[in-house]
Amino acid sequence: MKRLAFFAVALAATLTTLGFLVLPVLAIFTHVSPVTLVRQLSNPLVDDALVVSAKTTFLAQVLVLLLGTPTAYVLAARRFRGRSLVLTAIELPLVLPPAVAGIGLLVAFGRMGLLHTSIPFTQTAVTLAVAFVSGPLYVRAAIAAFEAVDPALVDAARTLGAGPARTFFRVAVPLAGGGLAAAEALAFARGLGEFGATIMFAGSLQHVTQTLPLAIYAAFAVDFDVTLAIGGLLVLVSAAVLIALKLATSWTLSLQTSGFRFAPSTSN
Amino acid sequence: MRRFGVFLIVVAAIAAGTASAAGHVTLTVYAASSLTDALPKVDPGERYSFGGSNALAAQITQGAPADIFASANLTIPEQLYAKGLVTRPYVLTHNTLVLVVPRANPARIHSVSDLRKPDVKIVIADSAVPVGAYTLQVLRTMHMTDVLDNVVSREADVRDVLAKVALGEADAGFVYATDARTVPKKVAVLRLPVWARPNVAYGIAVVTSSKHRAEAIAYLRMLLGRRAQTTLQSYGFLPRRTPG
Repeated sequence: MKRLAFFAVALAATLTTLGFLVLPVLAIFTHVSPVTLVRQLSNPLVDDALVVSAKTTFLAQVLVLLLGTPTAYVLAARRFRGRSLVLTAIELPLVLPPAVAGIGLLVAFGRMGLLHTSIPFTQTAVTLAVAFVSGPLYVRAAIAAFEAVDPALVDAARTLGAGPARTFFRVAVPLAGGGLAAAEALAFARGLGEFGATIMFAGSLQHVTQTLPLAIYAAFAVDFDVTLAIGGLLVLVSAAVLIALKLATSWTLSLQTSGFRFAPSTSN
Repeated sequence: MRRFGVFLIVVAAIAAGTASAAGHVTLTVYAASSLTDALPKVDPGERYSFGGSNALAAQITQGAPADIFASANLTIPEQLYAKGLVTRPYVLTHNTLVLVVPRANPARIHSVSDLRKPDVKIVIADSAVPVGAYTLQVLRTMHMTDVLDNVVSREADVRDVLAKVALGEADAGFVYATDARTVPKKVAVLRLPVWARPNVAYGIAVVTSSKHRAEAIAYLRMLLGRRAQTTLQSYGFLPRRTPG
């Protein structure tokens, strides 16, 4: 009897959770018909924001992959004093309120900031803001992906005469590939949605620094239809990323020859 | 058991909080960002939400629980009045548009025409925000819309414009005279020629769906009264010109 009651409560909680999380997403599509959504894609505001978002997100993710992958590899392979401190520093932007990230970027890279650059208000600023908030997400998950690679395979490559670079490119990265792709998908999605750091560090100017989330904000007080259309667009893109992520993960699992698990970063 | 005790204390605290507030109805006032410093000084006992007037109007249209709406222009409250969302707006006060530059003035801007210099970074408000619309109006009157090419960001409200100039990240921005006065050590003010100054009038109205209509009307009348007007003027707002 008690067990049944518990089951009923758990079921009710699950249904409430599901409804609560699904309702706002569905509501967007009840307000905007597919026709409106497609028509709004030719609205110059949406068009420009789409281009700015695509460009900055792409550049930011190239930056994240090029710098983040070796960083994650080193942090996964080496144990050294202060490693957990380094990991905490890398993870901090993840939990930081985006507005704080924005003000931090401003006082670091601003004209009056530590480095005295003229980056604010440019697309470079948007790219940096996106990289700053999405990079840690990638590095964290990439460390876990590298740690999940069977060390015996890496050692075997080394004893068979492969140099560290060759081992990294030919053994570690391919073996961690699925995990890295999953990490990148999450970072991409987070970067695409970046708002707070961007509006503080890069400002908002159509065609230059106004990304899709900034366009939603700008359009909200002017044209609710445009807001909904961009919202619908972002829901679709995000859903596509998530589905791709699931596919990538199941693909790795089926390809994995040695023991595979999602090992959390050992510092935690 | 102990956890239940804590729960009881929390409930009691909430109840006490509600009871103590019961004597006075706390109104929710949606007001233009430029009123951020002045309104709470006039009446600290209300709940204020400051933002771009257009954003606040959008929230009211979506059913936000505001009792009073004070906008930095008359157009927006009149639009809401036409839709039946607020009562007929009154003129609350007036303001002046000015150009602000960082104290250090890195781009050496000494007049509005200096905004035409190449690579000057100008920040203005979005054209949907009252201050952004006034800015465009000034530039059109002065036949200087070409300076829009130097605009690097269009912000959501006047305080965002001010912040970027005060930080020294932007070379110049258009704000209200009252905003410039809040950071005198950080920005220098350049006045606009009298003939180009827009007529900045603040519209105030009671939100139709307010549950505290009588209190909201009393608050509105209090703001139009002499004491409140004197306080507003001590912040640099101008006397009401339009009777009503």
